[in-house]
Amino acid sequence: MSDAPDEIAETSLPTPESVQPESTPQPPAEAEAAAEAPAPAALVVCPACATVNDPDAKYCEECGTQLGELVEVSADRDTADDAPAEADEATSSTAAPRRACVYCGGSIADDGYCELCGKPAQSERDHWQEAPAAWVGGVCDRGIRHEINEDAMALAADPQVGEFAVLVVCDGVSSTPGSDKASLAAARAATAILEAGRVTDLADGHGDEYAQARWSGRMLEAGERASAAIYEAIGELAARTNPPSCTFAAAVIDGPLVVVGGVGDSRVYWIADEGKSRQLTTDDSWSQEMMAHGMSRQQAENAPQAHSITRWLGADSPDEVPHVVPTYPTGAGWILVCSDGLWNYCSDADDLSQLVHRVVGSVGTNPVQVASALVDWANEQGGQDNITAALARFDSVVPTSARPA
Amino acid sequence: MAEFTASVFQNEFLSDGATDVHAIVTVTVAGAGQAGQGQGMAAGEIIIVDTSGSMTGENLGAAKHAASVAVDQILDGTWFAVISGTDTAARAFPYPNARLPMVQMEPGARAAAKQAIAAFQPSGGTAMGTWLTLARELFQATPQATQRHAILLTDGKNEHESAQALSQAIYNATGVFQCDARGVGSRWQVDELRQIATALLGTVDLIAKPADMAADFESIIKQSMGRGVASADLRVWAPQGSEVLFVRQVAPTVEDLTTRKTMVNPLTGSYPTGSWGDESRDYHVAVRVASKPVGSEQLAARVQLTVRDEVVASGLVKARWSNDDALTARIDPAVAHYTGQTELASAIQDGLAAKAAGDAATATVKLGRAVQLAAETGNDEATAKLRKVVEIDDANEGTVRLRRDVAKLDEMALDTASTKTTRVRK
Repeated sequence: MSDAPDEIAETSLPTPESVQPESTPQPPAEAEAAAEAPAPAALVVCPACATVNDPDAKYCEECGTQLGELVEVSADRDTADDAPAEADEATSSTAAPRRACVYCGGSIADDGYCELCGKPAQSERDHWQEAPAAWVGGVCDRGIRHEINEDAMALAADPQVGEFAVLVVCDGVSSTPGSDKASLAAARAATAILEAGRVTDLADGHGDEYAQARWSGRMLEAGERASAAIYEAIGELAARTNPPSCTFAAAVIDGPLVVVGGVGDSRVYWIADEGKSRQLTTDDSWSQEMMAHGMSRQQAENAPQAHSITRWLGADSPDEVPHVVPTYPTGAGWILVCSDGLWNYCSDADDLSQLVHRVVGSVGTNPVQVASALVDWANEQGGQDNITAALARFDSVVPTSARPA
Repeated sequence: MAEFTASVFQNEFLSDGATDVHAIVTVTVAGAGQAGQGQGMAAGEIIIVDTSGSMTGENLGAAKHAASVAVDQILDGTWFAVISGTDTAARAFPYPNARLPMVQMEPGARAAAKQAIAAFQPSGGTAMGTWLTLARELFQATPQATQRHAILLTDGKNEHESAQALSQAIYNATGVFQCDARGVGSRWQVDELRQIATALLGTVDLIAKPADMAADFESIIKQSMGRGVASADLRVWAPQGSEVLFVRQVAPTVEDLTTRKTMVNPLTGSYPTGSWGDESRDYHVAVRVASKPVGSEQLAARVQLTVRDEVVASGLVKARWSNDDALTARIDPAVAHYTGQTELASAIQDGLAAKAAGDAATATVKLGRAVQLAAETGNDEATAKLRKVVEIDDANEGTVRLRRDVAKLDEMALDTASTKTTRVRK
């Protein structure tokens, strides 16, 4: 814990690389896999509303719940277990280092605004990134026009390239207040369930013939758990006429198999290095239905009702069962899970593929940097909505340990 | 312990491309306590009375009585002195041959001071700069009196001193003590006393009838004794790349503070506001910031009150860009009200100046606008005073006619009252 404050002072964006959802205990194998990357910044997750808080916060910045007694989540398993309350006391008794303004580098005053340029301190929710392994990363951003970030994501991955990864993106419906709580709770709960569904020892040594069926079942369960998590997070908001709700888009990479699930209009794309890229999920939206009836994409996606979704997760949802699609992509490329804040500016799979290749050409193949560049590009187009992009590098010829001999 | 609050009134929404942010900041002090009660702090009061040859009969009698009443209001323990002013300044109490420049109030001193006042004789001319200079010297020779205030009474023009000499004396006294200035009769110059009061963070007013003098002095000294916060500054921070257009006090009186600014750091200006009792003052702050895209938010200003370099109250003036016309078109009622009050003060002063210069046409237009603004903003005191100078045909349209025989006093009353504002009706 001693190097945590330095980390905060250096970079204005603490990276929650090892944030574990509070609702499900992890078996050590999964936890180790997910928490492998060194994560000096240990963030505290609020038990009531799942908001990510500063390590030295005593009360949740979102809902005010006291945080002191919580076990601090940290990759450093030794210190996390013993005397967490004391550790919290120690950090809070020393002066918290001044936060740096993300726009100009000046320091943030006690009133929450920068002392140099006057911009408000960016809440962590406004822009954050996750990189559970070197080949998986994502960025979640508020965009420009919206006041809060109702997008959320939760990522997990095995350090071994191509072995196993979970990418979940949830986009809170902005016409319902509290959707930011819903999306974060849903994404984290879904990732936890999907991670726990990984089977690493196959006693008989054969390939897993039942992987597709197993993952389909898991994906449905993830949808259910995500929905339950929403209820828990929003409390009495569930009784409102327009209760908080969100979309759901998930991709599980289990060796050569990719299983995607979705509810709503967040999407998973297969971006091939060479050959045909394609959208793996199907939107539950008005424009999708129009396109199914023959309307052109251009017309359907620019119509005034284009952003109406027909299914979502939330208390008033008509149908929360994810649409599940298993696939074995061939060749090398990227699995991209994103919210409409990105694909609104680049909907067609071929166009998006060109964009990703252009970005990779300029920033390289680090998934967090690629995601960051895609978010920047979306903001340059206008940033009309919250933007999330999560990427995993995929290569069907990379050998993995779980393959049949 | 004194409690300080700062409240901000503004419409923070700006349309796409807009740059100017206006806000009214109300600073309130409560529980200030009495002057000189703070640790190691003592108050100092000087009473300056015009004893020039023109102060005859009724005026001098009333002045002596008023000065005695003022002496009664000075609390025990306060350092004080009395100056009689002519074309030179003489210290009437402590006696001219006394060792100390000022003495602390106690029953014996009080009685002796009143005797000295009773012995005033009118003779000589008027050079107010010399009075201010003597007061400054007395205060500077009494460093233990840290909260310093004077009251100055005159009845005539500053004839025995050049304008530069008066300005220089005022400049030297600025920041050393606060001064409230009063004029009795109709031969004194409003702008001369206004120059003193503005620089020395005090008020200027006209005493219409000599009999009113005592009550006025009593309330001035009482107010000064009730100012438990010796000295506070208003600080305005604006972000890098922005420009503070102006900082004005708009209630209880209009004062443009912009010229009093000293920079505390490259982004923050400090404006002295003198001492505070339990009271509330409103400030109008305007900042020009670079326009940002719709959806952006930033601070346009931090407005703070500081006492001995410590921030005791803080208000945030925000800017948020929006393309929702319903939000951006609104003008905050306090901002609108005080913008009107400031314009009212200018209209009155410009109108009277035009009238004095013989430009009846301009005077009619300006005073007509003043009548219109006074009616709109419910400033009944201003309306009543305007009525003595113009015939009001239609207050809402602002149609007026200059009166032929306006009593000089009525014009002066309008001039001195021009900077008094009404508070916005909440």
